[in-house]
Amino acid sequence: MNDPRTSMDDPTTAPSSADDPRDILAAGAAAPPPRTGAPHEPVRKAPGISVTGLHAYYGANHAIRDVSLEYAPNRVTAMIDPSGCGKSTVLRCLNRMHEEIPGARAEGTVLLDDEDIYASNVDVVAVRRAIGMVFQKPNPFPTMSIFDNVAAGLKLNGVKGVDLKERVEQSLHRAGLWAEVKDRLGSPGIGLSGGQQQRLCIARTIAVQPEVILMDEPCSALDPIATLKIEELIQELKESFTIVIVTHNMQQAARVADTTAFFLLGELIEHAATETIFQNPGDERTEQYVTGKFG
Amino acid sequence: MPNSRQQFTEELASVEVQALGGLDLVCAQIDRVLEALEHQDVELAAMVIANDDLIDGRYLEVHQRLLGLLALQAPVAGDLRVVAALLHVMKNIERMGDQCVNIAKTIPLTGHEPPVHAEVLERILRMGRAARWEVTQCKMAFAGRDVAMAEDLLQKDREINQLNREIFQLAIDIGTDPDTREWAMHMVMVARAIERIGDNAVDVGEQTAFIVTGLFREFSDSSHPASAA
Amino acid sequence: MSSLTLDNRRRAATDRVMRAVLLLGTIVALIPLILVIWYLLKKGLGAWSWDFFTTDPTGNFLGNQGGIKSALLGTIEMVALASIIAIPFGWGVALYLVEFGKESRFASLVRYFVDVMTGVPSIVFGLFIYVTLVLGGWLGSSFAAWKGSIALALLMLPVVTRAAEVVLLLVPNSLREAAMALGTPRWRVVVKVVMPTALPGLITGSLLAVARAAGETAPLLFTATIVNGTTFNLGERMNSLPVQIYTDVGSPNDQLVQRAWGAALALVVLILLTTIVARLASRRSRLS
Repeated sequence: MNDPRTSMDDPTTAPSSADDPRDILAAGAAAPPPRTGAPHEPVRKAPGISVTGLHAYYGANHAIRDVSLEYAPNRVTAMIDPSGCGKSTVLRCLNRMHEEIPGARAEGTVLLDDEDIYASNVDVVAVRRAIGMVFQKPNPFPTMSIFDNVAAGLKLNGVKGVDLKERVEQSLHRAGLWAEVKDRLGSPGIGLSGGQQQRLCIARTIAVQPEVILMDEPCSALDPIATLKIEELIQELKESFTIVIVTHNMQQAARVADTTAFFLLGELIEHAATETIFQNPGDERTEQYVTGKFG
Repeated sequence: MPNSRQQFTEELASVEVQALGGLDLVCAQIDRVLEALEHQDVELAAMVIANDDLIDGRYLEVHQRLLGLLALQAPVAGDLRVVAALLHVMKNIERMGDQCVNIAKTIPLTGHEPPVHAEVLERILRMGRAARWEVTQCKMAFAGRDVAMAEDLLQKDREINQLNREIFQLAIDIGTDPDTREWAMHMVMVARAIERIGDNAVDVGEQTAFIVTGLFREFSDSSHPASAA
Repeated sequence: MSSLTLDNRRRAATDRVMRAVLLLGTIVALIPLILVIWYLLKKGLGAWSWDFFTTDPTGNFLGNQGGIKSALLGTIEMVALASIIAIPFGWGVALYLVEFGKESRFASLVRYFVDVMTGVPSIVFGLFIYVTLVLGGWLGSSFAAWKGSIALALLMLPVVTRAAEVVLLLVPNSLREAAMALGTPRWRVVVKVVMPTALPGLITGSLLAVARAAGETAPLLFTATIVNGTTFNLGERMNSLPVQIYTDVGSPNDQLVQRAWGAALALVVLILLTTIVARLASRRSRLS
């Protein structure tokens, strides 16, 4: 007699023989495993970010209220928000770019692997070297060539002892741009198409070897094909970095993110596995937003 | 053109493999239940009933994965048809599994030494093997998106229907012995269960045609008997 | 769909009339410019010769009047010194206003004063330097070329600052953000990203100031005055084209008058050449 289990033909998912079927549904919704295939070790372990009691102000305007959440290491966390700039404000608090706006300030604890980036003795510049950022509109430096653009983070900061050529090539490879530009590294960065420029900016960001990459609506200025390429790239990048992405495109959050955080009017409403947010959200407001009934 | 939705494509392919694997489970169940029928093996029948949990579990897992694909990847066009078809097919597989259980349940009811009528049993076993053939065939047709192969299922299904009618007739004429008549009633129900398995396999074939053509068309409509057989 | 064709002819007529009016206005505005150029060429070219550029004015009323060599060189020297003073200061003030001061009250005050300075008549600057530096007898002789340069620099400063501020504001903030997000300190962002990006515009803006300074007469009258010989000593009096023209044009001697026209033409050509050279230089600094 055959053991029924040996006639299984799908080894990666363990069959549940006598389990209560309801357990299967519950298990999928709990912890956020990586969405790509079976769990495995990341190429480079990146730190997570832990936010507690974050408040942000624009002058007298109390924009972000008491936000606390965890950005898991080597995962992609998306932030969605129908009400304007809350998500971007939170993002900018993560690398202390928020305080560059005149009159803006932030309070709270943001731990990068147990170090509070808002501590009084912390060098803001060092924070930004560890937490990089990619912006909405691709912004390569217009006076620099492709090579210089990628190397900009190193050259501008006078980093010594790094083989620039090697680092630039490596970064362009990881950004998926090497094949397209390897023969014209000396030509101006602004001569590339929109999608290529954004990948150039990503290469520039990863050239300084940060631990976290923040992305502020990185695809909203790009055409659909370029968008999909960058989404694939993000899946590869999370092997080596922790990624936080802000997007106004819900389908993008659905495609790309391991966990999604839903903000509304400066508050965090819900943060859960993306599959949960888009199949069975806990909060009524989340449900209203993702089904498009908001407003 | 390089696939910029590599992950999604792979996930969809993986779900399909897992779903169609359910058909292999059904084949195994059919084999076991036919053997149990032939040898009146009550323990094997109990095993068939227990193993149906595997099929049910498979159903739930595939269903969950398909929902995930719909929620997270927003499939369209061909991909959407595949997802919709897989939802149907999983239901068919689950029903086929249930029918195997129904057949297995009759074995202990007929007692340890039932009065077996050879002609009836022989037809039952033939029906069962035809149904098993259909299950294998529909799996190949679906995996290969082969509409012609799917339509061929109808031929075999007509055989099954024919055998079903013969069994029914034999049962009517089986005689006056109450034990034999009781056994024959059970066999009629077994035949019906096997016939249902065949129908489910034909449904899988219809889903195959749906994926390829985008149109849903019933291969044979039992409510219009003139067009069938 | 009659509404599509309604009023078509009337609107087309209005369109043509407006175009004609604007064209006429442009031509009217261009006429003086063309006349000036034509006059310059007509009256000035005649004075040009090899001697014109290579000999100093002799100061003689009759006989050999000489050329404009000292005036030409003097203008170049004094304007160069003035630029060296004014341009860095001007860019510096503009950088402060755009990068650091922004909307603060102090910055707004500075902006206000710079605007006021652009309107101050050049003679006032000349008088100011005259009263403070010349009458005070600072550093050797009263009248000196460097004092003239300072007067010119005061004149150039607000123009350079204003133009530089406009250009620096045009640098997209996204570039500054990109550099800062890479972990670059503020001052490096300014020096290595903002300035190179703004450089072509900064140069063009500075040229406006240079052109204005080269042509100013009043400040030089009280400070560098006029002298016939070519000198490279900025501590002494120095000749300059505007002052030379001023002196010659009122003379009853026709040849001197013609020399004045020749000098005027030379001044215009000098400014033109400076502009072209600087444009070429700024184009090479950007990647093509």
